[in-house]
Formats: sequence, C-alpha cells, structure tokens
Amino acid sequence: MRSVAATDDRVRLAQRLLRSTVIWVDPMSFRPFTSESYAQDDRPEAWRDVLAAVGLQPAGSHSFYDGHATASHRHADGIALTRMAAGAQSVAPLTPSNEDLPIALMPVEDGMVLKSGASHRIVPVGHLVLLPRNGDWSIVFQRDMRAIVLSVTSEALHGRRSGKPRLGEPRVVPPGGFADVFARMLDATARTLDTLSDGEWKTLAQSLVDLLLTLAHQVAASTSDAGSSATQAALLHRICQTIERRLDDPDLVPARVAQAEGISERYLQKLFETVGDNFTHYVRERRLQRAWADLSNPTESHRSISEIAYAYGFGDSAHFSRAFRHRFGLPPREFRQQEAERATTQHGVAGQRGWPQEALARAHQNSAEARSDVARISGEETRSAERRHHHLPVEASRVHWGYFSRSLPPQIEIASGDTITIETLTQHASDDPDLMIAGDAGAESVFGWTADKKNVDRRGAGPMDASVFGRGAGEGFGVHICTGPVAVKDAQPGDVLEVRILDIVPRVSRNPKYAGRVFGSSVAAWWGYHYNEFLGGPKPREIVTIYEIFDDPEEPHARALYSYRWEPQTDPFGVVHTTYDYPGVPVVSATIKRRHAVLDGISIPLRPHFGVIAVAPREVDFVDSVPPSYFGGNLDNWRLGKGATVYLPVSVPGALLSVGDSHATQGDGELSGTAIECSMTGTFEVILHKKADLAGRPFADLSYPLIETETDWVLTGFSHPNYLAEFGAQGQSEVYAKSSLDLAMKDAFRKMRRFLMNTKGLSEDEAIALMSAAVDFGVTQVVDGNWGVHAILSKRLFRDAT
Amino acid sequence: MKHFTLPVSPKTVHWGYFSKKVPPALTLRSGDRATIETLTHHANDDYERMIQGDPGAESVFHWTREHKAVARRGSGPTEGPFIRGAGEGIGVHLLTGPVAIEGAEPGDVLEVRILDVRPRPSCSACHAGRCFGSNVSANWGFHYHDLIEEPKPREVVTIFELDTSGEPYAKAVYNYVWTPQTDPDGIVHSTIDYPGVRVDHATIRKRENILSSVKVPARLHFGTMGLAPSEADFVSSIPPSYTGGNIDDWRIGKGARMFYPVAVSGAYFSVGDPHAAQGDSELGGTAIETSLTGDFEFILHKKADLAGTQLEGLDHPMLETDHTWSFYGFTYPNYLAALGADAQTEIANHSSLDRAMRDAFRKLRRFLMIVHGLSEDEAISLMSVGADFGVTQVVDANWGVHGTIRKNIFRCD
Repeated sequence: MRSVAATDDRVRLAQRLLRSTVIWVDPMSFRPFTSESYAQDDRPEAWRDVLAAVGLQPAGSHSFYDGHATASHRHADGIALTRMAAGAQSVAPLTPSNEDLPIALMPVEDGMVLKSGASHRIVPVGHLVLLPRNGDWSIVFQRDMRAIVLSVTSEALHGRRSGKPRLGEPRVVPPGGFADVFARMLDATARTLDTLSDGEWKTLAQSLVDLLLTLAHQVAASTSDAGSSATQAALLHRICQTIERRLDDPDLVPARVAQAEGISERYLQKLFETVGDNFTHYVRERRLQRAWADLSNPTESHRSISEIAYAYGFGDSAHFSRAFRHRFGLPPREFRQQEAERATTQHGVAGQRGWPQEALARAHQNSAEARSDVARISGEETRSAERRHHHLPVEASRVHWGYFSRSLPPQIEIASGDTITIETLTQHASDDPDLMIAGDAGAESVFGWTADKKNVDRRGAGPMDASVFGRGAGEGFGVHICTGPVAVKDAQPGDVLEVRILDIVPRVSRNPKYAGRVFGSSVAAWWGYHYNEFLGGPKPREIVTIYEIFDDPEEPHARALYSYRWEPQTDPFGVVHTTYDYPGVPVVSATIKRRHAVLDGISIPLRPHFGVIAVAPREVDFVDSVPPSYFGGNLDNWRLGKGATVYLPVSVPGALLSVGDSHATQGDGELSGTAIECSMTGTFEVILHKKADLAGRPFADLSYPLIETETDWVLTGFSHPNYLAEFGAQGQSEVYAKSSLDLAMKDAFRKMRRFLMNTKGLSEDEAIALMSAAVDFGVTQVVDGNWGVHAILSKRLFRDAT
Repeated sequence: MKHFTLPVSPKTVHWGYFSKKVPPALTLRSGDRATIETLTHHANDDYERMIQGDPGAESVFHWTREHKAVARRGSGPTEGPFIRGAGEGIGVHLLTGPVAIEGAEPGDVLEVRILDVRPRPSCSACHAGRCFGSNVSANWGFHYHDLIEEPKPREVVTIFELDTSGEPYAKAVYNYVWTPQTDPDGIVHSTIDYPGVRVDHATIRKRENILSSVKVPARLHFGTMGLAPSEADFVSSIPPSYTGGNIDDWRIGKGARMFYPVAVSGAYFSVGDPHAAQGDSELGGTAIETSLTGDFEFILHKKADLAGTQLEGLDHPMLETDHTWSFYGFTYPNYLAALGADAQTEIANHSSLDRAMRDAFRKLRRFLMIVHGLSEDEAISLMSVGADFGVTQVVDANWGVHGTIRKNIFRCD
C-alpha cells in the first residue's frame, strides 16, 4: 500500500503545484483578443480565426473586417464561448461542418438582421438565435457587432446521445421562460470569462451545454412542420436527461425509466435503436464518462476514486476499475495521476483581476443639441516662403471646454508644414482668479461668468440642461479647456498627423500686482488615486495647492505658495459645488482658509508639457475630455514637452486638432488627480502624412498616439485602447468603471510588440526578448478613467536608427 | 574594516530559496566589505559558454545520475518522488550566502552598498575571456498566453554576449525554442520548470542573425538580494517581499545602497540572480541573466538609532542612489504574512499591478511624511507633481511598481 500512498501524495503535490508559483498567469483556456495586437494587414486573418473558433466566418463580398475589434474567448472540450465587439459586418456559418448542434448567438446592445434564404428578419437585442451549422443564412450587423456566441460540438457530449435536434433553418427564440434563463446565463458567463477559475468555468460550460441541448430540442420539436422524428428526438433527449440525473442509482433499469416517462420498455429500447445505441450500453458509457470528467478535474481531487465510482452507480470499485480500463485503456488511479501531471505542465490556473463594479451614471447626451455658434476667425497669419505661421489666441469663442467633437467648426485651417502658436489656459486658473485670471483679457473672456452670462456655457460632454447631477451645462463630464480645433487642409481619416512641439512658454500673470510672475495650481481631488484612503482627518477632503513657477533657464522649478481645503463654492448661477465637480467655478477667497509655509524647502524641477493634444474622435459627437484614447486627448505624459512629437491617427476630415491642459510639471502617475496646472502657450509644427505615403514610416499602421522624443519612442497603452468602440453607447461611463493598470500594461505590451515587429522588422521572439531586456514600462496616470502605462524604447538600441 | 571573499561553490550557495536555517557561508561585522561571486541559474542554457572550464560554476551545476552537487532547488519537498526534482523548482535563483552580520537583530536595518559589479568571463577554450548571458521568454512571462505567432505557446532562449570594451552593451548571439530536456535523474522537463537542467544542444535548433541591428545598453545589477524572512524556514526565491529578494530592479547596481529590515538574528543576507540588462517590467520572464561578481559593504543600523534618520519606520526595502530614493510596492507587501500557510503558492493567483501601485503609493507617502516631515496633504501634492511611478516587474508572482523621488527636490533651503 505504500506505493499507493506515495502516488496519492504525488497527486496532491501535483494539485498544489498546479496552483503554485511564478509559472501561472491566466486561466489556460481564456483568450483575450484585440485587433491592437495586429498590423492592419494581418487583422482580417486574425479576426477570421476568432470567428472560426465559434463556427462562423465572414460573409459577403466585403468579407473581411479590419477595424477595431475585441473579443473574450474561452473554451473547454468541445465548448467555445465568445463575446465580441467589432464594427459593422456580416457573418455566415463556417462550412462544411460535421457538427449537429446549432450555434447559439445573441446580440447585445444593438440588433441585427438575420437573412435566411430569401427572408430577412430583424432580431432585437437579447433575443437568442439558434443557427444550424450548415445552411444558407447570414447575419448582418448593420451598426456595431456586439454579440455572444456559444458553439458546442459533439466532443463536449462525451459520447452522450441525446437525439439530434434538427433545425432546418435559423430559429429566433422568443424571450420568456427557459430561453430567458439561458440568455441570462450566457450573458453573465460571457461577462466574467476572464475571472472564472478553471473549475468554475468547466462547471458553467457543462451547464451551458445542457441548456443549449434542451432549448434546441424544444425549438426543433415546436416547429410546425416537424415530423414524428423531431418528437422522438425530444423524447429521447428528455429520457437522457432523466438518466443523467439518476446515474448514481445502481438500480437504474429500463423498466423504471420507461415507467417514469409513461412509455413501454420496448418503445424505450426502440428510441435508443433510432440513434444506434441501446439503453444498457448508454448508461454505462455515461457513468464512465462522468467518472472520467471528475477524475480529470482538479477541483474534485479531494474525492477518493471509490467515492466517485459510487456516485455514478458503481458499487464495486474493482468492477469500476476494470470497466474504466476497458473503456479508456488506463486504470482510474493512473489516469488521475496522469491528468494531474498534465495539468501541472500546462500551468492552468485561475488568474486574478477584478474590475470595479459600479459604473458612473451615464451621461444622457442630447445629440440634437444646437451647436454653439462659434465665430470663425483665421488668426494672425504671417507668410514666410510657402510655410505659414499662424497664431491662435485664447478667448471664449476659440475654446471648447471639457469635450472633443467632430462637429465643431474649425477656428482656423492650416496646411501641412505650417507652424502655429496656440495659447492655452488651465481650467484651474479659477482656483485663484486673482493670480491667474485678473487682468488677462483672454482668461477673463473664457472664465467670464456672472449671474446673467456665462461666456463658455458648455463644460463637459454631458447634457446642456444638467439633468444628470445638476452641476451645470455639460455636467463637468470632461474638464479641460481646449483651444481649437485647428483644421488641417486635406487631412482625411487614415492619414497620420504629426504634431511637433517647438516651444512651450508659461503664461505670465497679467494682474499688475503680480506682473511678470507665473502661477499654477494642483488639486488633490476626488478623482485622485489617494482619495479613498486618507490617513488623517477630515476624510475625505480636497486640497488645492497654489504654486509659483520660476522659469529661469538655469534651474527651472516650481515652489508652493499656499494651500487650502476646498470649501463648498457657489457658482454665479447659484449652484453649490461641495466638491470639485465642475470646472472653472471661481473660488471666493473669503470662503477658504489659506495655509502658508507648505512644502517648505521643496523645489520641483519643471517639465512643461501639454496634458491634452487631440484630434477629434469619429465614434460619437461629444466625447468627455478626461479619458485618453486612440485619438490622443488627455495623455498626461510629461514627455510631451518641448522637442517632442506626437503622431495621431486622423479620424475625421480636417483632423480637428485641439490643445490644452497645460502642465508646468507632473510625475509619472499624476497621483492626486492633477499636475501643476499652469496656462501656457505652445508653438507647433503640424505635418500631415497621407495614408498612401505611410508605408515604411515608423508611424505606419498607427492606431494610437505615438510619442517621439530626441532619445526615445514612447508608446501609450491604456486600460481600453479604444473605449468608445469597445463599450459602445456605454463607453463614456464604462471606461471609468474599468480602470486597470493590469489591462493598460497588456495594451502597452501589445503595442510595443507590434511596433518592434512592424517598424523594426523583428520576429515575435526577438521582440519579446528585447522588451524584457531593454524596454521600460512606466505608469503614465492612474486618474483619467482610462489608466495609462507607457512603454519606452530607447533609440540608442538601434545602431542604424535614424 | 575587513575585506572578505566569498567564491561560489556548492557549500556557499543555496538554490531557489531564502532560509534562516542555512548555516552562514560567511560572518562579518558592520563596516566590513566582501567580494561575492554569483552565478546565473540560466548558465546551463549554454553550458559551453557559461559553465565549461569554470571550476566554480562546474562544481555548483554538477549533476549526474550518481551525484547532484546542489540537490535542493526551491522551497518545495525534498523527499521524493518528485514531479520536477528536489525542491520542486518552487524558487529558482542561485544565491550566494547567507552572509551573517554580527549583532544584527530583528528591528534593525541592514544597509548594503554595491561598490562595484563585474561580469564573470567564460573559461571555456573557445570563448575564454568573453562574457555571455541568457534571456528566456518563459512560461511565467507576461506575454506567454498572448502570443500571435505559431507555435503557441513556446519558450524561447536567447543567448547574448556582453561587450565591455567600451560603453558596455549586450548583443544577441543566437536563439532557440525550448525542447523537452531530460535531466540526469530521468525527469523530462517539457517546459522550463526546474532550474539548472542542462540543455542538450543536439535537441535544439539554433537561429543565428537575430536582433542583428540591436545593441542593448548594459545595466549590470543583481535581480535578487535580500535577507532571510522570519515567517517560514524555506521561502521561495521568486516572489519579492518585505526583506527584499527578487525585486528585479535594474537600478540595484553599482553605486546603489539598499536598505532591508532585519527579520532574523544575524540578518542572513544572500545575493544572486545577476543580470547584465533588464527593462522595467522584465516582460518575458527573465533579464539577460549573466554571472556577475560584486563588491559589497555592509552597515548595520541598530533599531535604537533609527529615529530621526531616513530609516525611521522602515519595514520594507528602500533604494538610495546619488540622485533618488525608490520604494517598492508589491501586490502583497508581505505575502507570507498576508496569505497564510499556502502563501508561497497562493501568491501567484493574485498578481496585480493595481495592488502594487497602491502599495507603492502608501510606502512613498509614509516616507515623505515620516522622514521629510510633510503633512499628508503636502505628501500627496508632491507625489503627483514630483514622484515617478514605474513598473518594476510583472513576472515574479508578487508584481512590483516602484515609486521614485528625486533628491534635488529637497535640496534648496
């Protein structure tokens, strides 16, 4: 018996190793997919693979989809579940197929059109569709494709015969009753694919198989033209389910089953004959298969082999052992050990991760809202040879506050190669209006707000009537004052806009009392990373620190002047802001208590940069300025300073470049929620690279903001690289609920791999080795909803690099 | 002040774990210095270049059917039968030591200054005098379940040569895909699951001319350095924790001063996992793993003397360089205490940068408040505008984010 005990130890050790140490990252069977991993040209093929995993393929003449797409996929033996989010497209069955079970597909968020033969049918959100594996049908997603797909093949049944549900054509299952239960379970499972442990997933997957089988039989039997074969198949399925429930009963005999179903024993046998089987063989097969599944399941390792045998109606473990070996060629004990070792070498283990659950209240957008009637100005222009220099001063009519929009009329149109000086204001100037607004005509114009008149009414992408929280027009869903947009002549979607930062100059106070001095503000705000875990009271609190900026060439630095705790501020329209929830509310100095001698003896080196550089996104009209994304926006990376260049993918005609959120300095992380926010004026050179000319350039195949400095390439990873496309209508609230450095790290990794492979011509293995040895990943920010991790590739690595 | 030398040998190394139970290889006093040799546990990825002819390396890696010079590799079971081998590879780093410090007691802080770091040249006839290292894109790498090229998954070993003639840099020599390797005891390692298994070069296919236009600037450093924890007798060397260990920060090189809280009498310092270069994140699972020798100085700071110094309240590792202080946030700052009996295996199920960031934030806040006398509000404002957070590693189970603050911020009056 000694050797048996040792074997059990081995199994236990294997189980423990299975959960152990460095080696295991994600559940083995979970596969995230994002198009960001692939070069543009490789995307159709990669997407084809995603569809094929659930028995689908692209349909129609424009068969390939090559835009942004994400999917979560998980599989078990013969079972595949995928949740997809991608752009408009059509799909059809992957034929030919030897499988019998229909594919279950459910649209989420947007409806779809089911084409079968000559008929068209609109399928609303949340309706299940059962699709035969072979057949003349296709599904058209006219807007975005957002769907959950379940594919079950015969492998999942482990020899279980259940009669074959015959669906001649696709069937839309009306909601209600059983179908609802199935739909909800599909949805819930698909949403948690990445966090389920392997054991949990296996259990759920088996349940989904059972549910699908039952539903498929119900649907097949209910078909009006279904013949007796469908009825028979449904009956056989029901009998098989009865058997499945009673496998533990050693006295499970045909007579009792037939009696329970109200049919004769002979008819029962006949039913099995229709599928080429007999009752006794079927029951034994199912018992062995179930035992097989339990023996290979790590979560069942606490049960002894005889317990498992008993649970499936084998009273005698020697008999079980013989039968098992006869069926699977290996005695149960050896089989279990082999499986444990196999699992160990496969390193399958449950991953961590868990997203914050609560989404912020969704902004109800009123897209029909009248656009602000912004006067078009052309700015000062000075002509020098062919290239021209432009100047865009800041004033109320030349800014948009807290949002990006593809439908804003441009302030100015410039040509590729032109330079432009753009004045920007920090939205935090109102933290001390006396220092940062008074006497400054541009700032006074933008911040101008009295009981009767608010010069820039909309602040944020929220509703103009403030119907969500009542904070003010736009609801502060987005806070940055952006100057622009600047249209670039001939810019079209697919082009790349290169924005070179030639110079950055802080904006001096125009208040005669402080003439020539420069000030900034930093707020430890409610959206800061620290906010939920203060050590001392009062908890929580928001603290504004006002800094003076010393831009001397020797050692440019900032020093704190004073700080104060935010107190409820009543804005000129009478709305009380108990927290810093709406930008540009002028702080009344009498309401606050200034603390001096803060950060005494500390001087912070400057890193002047623009937090926000954006082109207009294509997906929706008003986009919150806070979460950065593929179009740039609130990147909050201090490397975007003088001498740096950012390449942005153009999404709308004219590109519509906007700049704002200027910072005197910021640390990687931007922990408290803000940098030292300080109004600045930038000079930019703007170069348009047409789509046709991108091949071979470092910024070819660009789907994200790419930063270049004198020494480095800096790639920007986000929790959700294109959150507008990924989350659809809910994007602007979901993105805040799903902030994660772990996801941003993944995105940065994928982008750097793609850059090294496509731009530097490395193989995947070379790229990964190089990333491990020489690429530095850092935290960009943890306060902008869509958290950022950047990857820095030193140009020094490449001898031949330009 | 005395200067000691600690060469590598089966008697002066322990493999894959920290332990308060291993007899010290060297005992010294505060203020003493030591030259310590370390070996990379990846040397057998290319035996000829990194072991052959090197008496120290040969003695440590010696493993035949009859004799395995260092049997235990990892904190796992030492009684068979084994899945992978003695110690079960739960912990992989070859560590030299422990070095005991006279008079060190729990509550004290040990300062370790790295005075110099030198690569260990090859002794084999064909490559004598040249220095090599190995980088493995391994199954514990961040990329492993997210590969795009076939075959999936795969492990890839890249051999680098380190050139120190001028500004030191590393250059790739060749790479190969890991194939199942059979160790002298007959266990087949179909993945890289046990350290020190010699790769039979007849079973692999070398691919030359890789990374041909790339020079990786050297960042010589020790990936694993730290003290024995008190919680368990044998602690896996993989997850870093409050007494240091496998921090994998490339800034822990020449000129660095590391501070560790002492957890057991004598402190029990060990060092290993030498790296020629590594990026922040160590993405593929390893750095350029290269045997190195370091000169160290040890200074013991007694508990009673810590108040009012920069070490006041320090209960986790801290790095000081000429220009910065760095603090190491982990998914679990002390995973051994937090996760209980199964901590050494359980930690791998919790890896998260989000938690590590949280920890780094707290440690830096504590430092700014206690050592620099800032209020909480000042500390938070300063962290937002003057501190940089970066990804240390995403491959050591207890993932790391470091928070760094520049000293010149505090320089003026």
